[in-house]
Amino acid sequence: MSRRVSPGLRSGSLPLLVALMTLLAGLALAGLSGIQSLAAGWSQAARSAATIEIPTDIPNAPDRTDALVHALKALDGVTNIQKLSTDKVQDLLAPWLGQPVGSHKGLPGLSLPQVLIVAHAPGTDLTATVHDALPEAIVQEDLQWGQRLERLGTSLTGCAWLAVILIAAIVILSIGITVRRSVAAQKRAVDIVHSLGAADLTISSHIAGRAALLSFLGGIAGLILLTPLTTSLATTLSPFAHQSALPATFPTTLDGWWTTLSILPSSLLKELGALPLIAACLGWLTAQGVVLVWLRRLP
Amino acid sequence: MIRLRDVSLKPAGVGQPVLHGMTLSIPQGEFRWLLGPSGAGKSSLLRLLTLGARPASGQMDILGTSVTGASRGALRNLRRRIGFVPQDYRLIGEWTVFDNVALPLRLRGRSEREIRQEVFSVLEWLDVAAYAHSRPTILSGGEQQRVAIARALIGRPDILLADEPTNALEESQARRLLSTFQELIDLGTTVIVATHNESLVREAPAQSIMLRDGTLDPQAVAP
Repeated sequence: MSRRVSPGLRSGSLPLLVALMTLLAGLALAGLSGIQSLAAGWSQAARSAATIEIPTDIPNAPDRTDALVHALKALDGVTNIQKLSTDKVQDLLAPWLGQPVGSHKGLPGLSLPQVLIVAHAPGTDLTATVHDALPEAIVQEDLQWGQRLERLGTSLTGCAWLAVILIAAIVILSIGITVRRSVAAQKRAVDIVHSLGAADLTISSHIAGRAALLSFLGGIAGLILLTPLTTSLATTLSPFAHQSALPATFPTTLDGWWTTLSILPSSLLKELGALPLIAACLGWLTAQGVVLVWLRRLP
Repeated sequence: MIRLRDVSLKPAGVGQPVLHGMTLSIPQGEFRWLLGPSGAGKSSLLRLLTLGARPASGQMDILGTSVTGASRGALRNLRRRIGFVPQDYRLIGEWTVFDNVALPLRLRGRSEREIRQEVFSVLEWLDVAAYAHSRPTILSGGEQQRVAIARALIGRPDILLADEPTNALEESQARRLLSTFQELIDLGTTVIVATHNESLVREAPAQSIMLRDGTLDPQAVAP
C-alpha cells in the first residue's frame, strides 16, 4: 500500500505542454548546433582561401602567370591552386558584365583577368611572393568574409540561445500555472493535510515529485517527437556542412534514421538527452516554489 | 490545558471580529460542551482552537505553547496533538477511508504495520471497517462522520474538538461516542464538543462554554 501523506498533482495539460516545449527547445538547440557548425565551416573555408587576379594585358602574361603558380606551390602552407578558365571567370562576372555575345569575351575593350584561387593554411602570407613574382597581380584574401561569417554565426547563435532561454521561461511559467491550478483544485485536500500537522515541505515535496515525474514524461514525449525533425534538419543541412557521411535524401529506414542521428554532434545529443531531466528539474523547482508560497498563506 | 486571554479573531476581509474578548481556561483532561445559537461563534472558536487561524489579539496558550508567537514548526507539532471532528467531515474524497484515517499516524512517522493494526481496530469499533478500501464519497453522511471520528481519535490526541459529532449518528452510536469521549478524558485528553443536541447535553451533564454574538455568555459558563 502506498504511503499517502499529501495530495499529489493532477496531471492536466502539464505533460503535453512540457512535450511541446521540449520539442521547441530541442529544435532551437539543434538549430544552434547547426548554425555553429555551418558558421565555423564557412569561416574556416573563407579564412583559408585567397583570390589572385592577374591582368591579361601585361607583357608575357601566360609565362609570368606560370612562374607565379610555381612560386606559390613552393610556398609552405599552400595546399591547392586552381586556375579558373576564362569561361568560368565569364560566368562569375556575368551578373555585372552580361552574357558573352558570340565569341566575344567580356565587354568590348575590357579584357578579363586570369584568376587563381589559392587554398592555404590560415596565416600563410601570399602577398610578398605574389608581389615578387608578378607585381601587377592583385591578392584578395577572403579573411574579411570569414570575419563577417563569424559575426553572422555569433548573431545567429545569440538568437538561438535567446530562443532556448525564452522557451525555458515559458516552460517555467506553464508549469507554475499548471501547478497553481492543480493546487487550487486540491485546496481542500491540502488544507486538510495541513490542518492535521503535515509539514509544508512534506506537502510541497509530494506535489513537486509528481510535477517532476509528469515533466520528465512530457520531456521524453517531446524527445520522441523531436527525433524525426532533428534528423530531417540534419539531412537538410548536411550539404552545407560538408557531411559526406550523411545520406543525400531523408532516411526512410530505421537504419537510415539511426545513421543520421549517430553522426549528429555528440554535444547536441547530450544536450537533447538532458532535456527531459532539465524539464523534470524545472517542474520540481517550480512546483516547490509555487506550493511553498501558497502554503505560507495558511496559518 | 487551553488558556485564552482577551482573544479576538478577525478573518481577513471581515470588518468586525467574529470573536472578541474571549477569556477562558480549560484544565487538561476535562470535558466542555460548546453551546450557543447559530452564528454565535462556535465554529470560529473551534477554528481558533484547531489552529486554523491565529488570534488577531490577546494571548492563547495550548498545551503549554503560546500560539500567538509560535513558529510554523511549533504550530505543526501542536496540530498533531489535536484531534478534530469537523461538521462537514473534511475527508479527502480521492483517498480511501483507510488512507484518510491513517494520515495522522503517517505524519507521525509510524510504521505501516502499526498503522494497519490501529486503523482497522478503530474502523471496526466504529463499524466502518468494511469500507476501508472505499472512497469516502460513496458513504452515507453517518458513515462519513464515523470515518472523521476515527481520524480524530486514531492519534490519541491530547485535545479532541468536535463540531456536532453526533448529528448524523443513530442514538446508540451517539451514546457509544460519548462513552469514548469519557474514556479519553480518563486518559487525560481535553474534550470540547460543540452541539445543538440538548438531549445529548442532558445525558452527559458537564460544564459548558456558552457563546453569544462572538463572545462568552458569562451567565452560562458554569452550569
